Amino acid sequence: MKRGLIVILSFILLLPIYHASEISTLEADGDIGYRQVGLIWSTDSPTEEGTIFEIWISNETIIETANATKHSQVMVGNVSGISQPVMGEWYDDCQYNFGDTEWIPVHRDLDGTAVVPPGTIGVNCTLTGIPSGTEIHLAVLLVNPSNESILSPSISSSSTSSDEEIIVIETSPYIFAIGSIALSIMILLFMLRWMDYREGRTTSRFAHIYIAPAILALSVLTFYPVLYGIWLSFTNADQSHLGDQSFIGIENFITVISTSGFFRVTGFTLLWSVVNVAAHIGFGLLLAMALNSDDLRGRSAYRTALLLPWAIPSYISVLVWRGLYEPAGALNDFLGTDLNLLADPNGARIVVILVNIWLGIPFMMMSISGALQALPKDMYEAAEVDGINKFSRFFYLTLPNLKSALVPLSLLGFIWTFNMFNVIYLMTDGGPNLDFDGPGSTDILITYVYDVAFRDGSYGVAAAWSVVIFLMLVVFSWTYMKKTNATEAVT
Amino acid sequence: MISSKKSFSSVLHDDLASRWYIPAEVESLRSLYPIVVIINFVSLVIFILRDDPDLIFSSTMQIVVSLVIVLLLSKLNQGQRFIRDGVIAISGLSLLLSVLQFLSGPQIIIDYWIMGWSSIPALFVIYSVSKPIVTLWASGNQTTRSAELGLYRNRSVTRFHGKIFRHIALLHAVAFVILPILWILDVALSPGNSLGGGFFDSVTMEHFNQILSSESFWIWTRNSVIVSIGTTILGLALAIPAGYAFSRFKFRGRDYAMFSFLLVQMFPGVIILVPYFLVMKALGLLNTSVGLILAYSVTALPLCVWMLKGFFDTVPKELEEAALVDGCNQNQVFWRIILPLSLPAVAVTALFSFLAAWNEFLLALTFNTSEEMYTLPVGLASLISSTGQAWGDFAAASLLVSLPVVVLFVIFQRFLIEGLSAGGVKG
Repeated sequence: MKRGLIVILSFILLLPIYHASEISTLEADGDIGYRQVGLIWSTDSPTEEGTIFEIWISNETIIETANATKHSQVMVGNVSGISQPVMGEWYDDCQYNFGDTEWIPVHRDLDGTAVVPPGTIGVNCTLTGIPSGTEIHLAVLLVNPSNESILSPSISSSSTSSDEEIIVIETSPYIFAIGSIALSIMILLFMLRWMDYREGRTTSRFAHIYIAPAILALSVLTFYPVLYGIWLSFTNADQSHLGDQSFIGIENFITVISTSGFFRVTGFTLLWSVVNVAAHIGFGLLLAMALNSDDLRGRSAYRTALLLPWAIPSYISVLVWRGLYEPAGALNDFLGTDLNLLADPNGARIVVILVNIWLGIPFMMMSISGALQALPKDMYEAAEVDGINKFSRFFYLTLPNLKSALVPLSLLGFIWTFNMFNVIYLMTDGGPNLDFDGPGSTDILITYVYDVAFRDGSYGVAAAWSVVIFLMLVVFSWTYMKKTNATEAVT
Repeated sequence: MISSKKSFSSVLHDDLASRWYIPAEVESLRSLYPIVVIINFVSLVIFILRDDPDLIFSSTMQIVVSLVIVLLLSKLNQGQRFIRDGVIAISGLSLLLSVLQFLSGPQIIIDYWIMGWSSIPALFVIYSVSKPIVTLWASGNQTTRSAELGLYRNRSVTRFHGKIFRHIALLHAVAFVILPILWILDVALSPGNSLGGGFFDSVTMEHFNQILSSESFWIWTRNSVIVSIGTTILGLALAIPAGYAFSRFKFRGRDYAMFSFLLVQMFPGVIILVPYFLVMKALGLLNTSVGLILAYSVTALPLCVWMLKGFFDTVPKELEEAALVDGCNQNQVFWRIILPLSLPAVAVTALFSFLAAWNEFLLALTFNTSEEMYTLPVGLASLISSTGQAWGDFAAASLLVSLPVVVLFVIFQRFLIEGLSAGGVKG
């Protein structure tokens, strides 16, 4: 009896303490950086374990979460044993405090979710990916451990740092470089023309003038950037050192080689290129041979249909295939399966390769078709009279005769596939497993270079990657040509 | 002596006809059945992914049965009638299995395809192996005469089977090509952003209306049109004189200049991307059409120069010489004679550079990052991103964007491919 009373009394006493926290203040700051908005909020009482703060974002005032998008979330939970990265290592980084002015970086659990300990009062988050100059509305939804949710009032802000880089680059060195290149090309052409004139070649009076625009454009817009890129790879150029970059020797190349996953991404790029080119040539040859018959009914209709993957803009085909492979997409309907290949590293690798195979077959088919039609017909007739079966005809007549066409085609295909950016970028963007520092599981070299240059802003390192890729391609092409020529000389 | 020679030749004759003769049906089946085994493997994989134990079992049985058929077909020879009977019996078993599989209920289109591949080859085996001519051959009772007739008949049968095989292979390839296109048409025409569902079960034009009335689509189209037309004009202005000079004149530095055009084609775009971006940034050409036009026309320049040089080479030199004798100067020859004559070639080159600029993605993504300067590729890709999954709108827009391009490509395919192989493979 007495004990019951104590229990009830203590309940009544404890009730106010257990009242769920609510958001008491909410402030936004648009002036903290490029495409960033800071959001600071505090609760009226220490938060309990299990509470979740969800940050919602919208173009209009947020009254309910239905008209908004969830930006990120912060969980209140047990932080012991959870890593606590330094500020700036994560996107959408947050800090917390216990009601005082000391801000502590949040912890990150294995999924990368921000975790703060129970008792937290204030949270200060840096929201990234906010387009500059547009007004956005923000609200914090507080979800109690008992799953009740309370939406804070909506506030508005905008990221004030302009989309233009803050650093103004000195234009004059570039103008000077381009101008001097253009001038020296002009002088060179003029000298060549004068020499020709002195020797009395009358037909070539206009020749140098005719090629001048093309040569000028080529040197200013191709050779100059290439040389500039090679120089960049030896400098510390990045987003903050642009215009005043300085020579740092081979440091960038060391960074490239020591990137975690350098060999993985190179290996996958090689696998990707070899499998794709082999499939392109194999299927292309098969289809070209199937089409290579004069009395095939509907031949031009087949040809036109099979050309479609080449005719359709590749970015559209890639996005369409991405839709097909989505869990809700038609592939699962079509096969009656329940797959999510894009979420699995190996599945995603297979998928991107399949999509690129689909894209590349028509080019090879048409090129091989042209080469097949050039083969002499009487050779096959003689073989048929001699009773050679069709497999031997293929291996001893068709393939050796196509070799002179297949060797340059395969090399060209290899270089193209090696640098095929669209498929990977649009299908997976290097995912599904994106490491913060290093290539993702479906990244190939060129997509990773893009990330290094335009997501990290490390232009010097990216230029070093480009030089490394170029050297790889040169070495490969040289060896390939050498090997194929060598076998030709033997046979 | 003479008689023995005669008998030797007749022995040889008999031997050859019967040794050489294998009915074309058996040959065709020998090359068909390994493919059937592969397709059964594919269906087994599908059933494993679908996690349907009954179908996995029956498909495994199918693989075993077709492997046995492959084995028996390779052993099938003259005078081995029991193997022939075995082939028929096992094919009957395969047919029975596929009928059982069919009775368990096909659910979706692919099931019909799988069933077709497990039953039709079996039917084909039963039909062709039980033909009298194969029976006679397998029983070993054939005469030389019938073997000779059979060899004669083989030619037409082989050709007929070859044709059917070609059609089957091509139809499969066409289905593989067409299915994604049909699907995107379905997505564009079905309401909401659903990706799955039945084909064309509810048709609506809402996505087309939405895209055609959206402001950003027209902005992207305008940007793309400006960039593509600018690229075409600038590219041609640079490429035509250069192609003409390379085709007609001998001058100091010609070989070096032509080599530099080849060299550029071998550079992978990646080595240029970063410095290109920085130079454009320094010159203030990011987020402008001019930057993209400059970049695209130079990227396409080598190929255009090589294509045009190839075309100019085919214009007879005598025409120019006659005009020069008649008092034209070199410029007049070029403008009044060569250019009008090679107008079709110029048109194809123009189409090529237009298409290249219309479809380019990477440079447009890198250079023009503000939304009002997006070209169509980047704009369309932005419909499908981490923030939005507007599949219906994307499907409608992509159909609108690719239709004219595909039509142009298909109409001019012969010229485009010739030009590309002239520039691409030779160069």
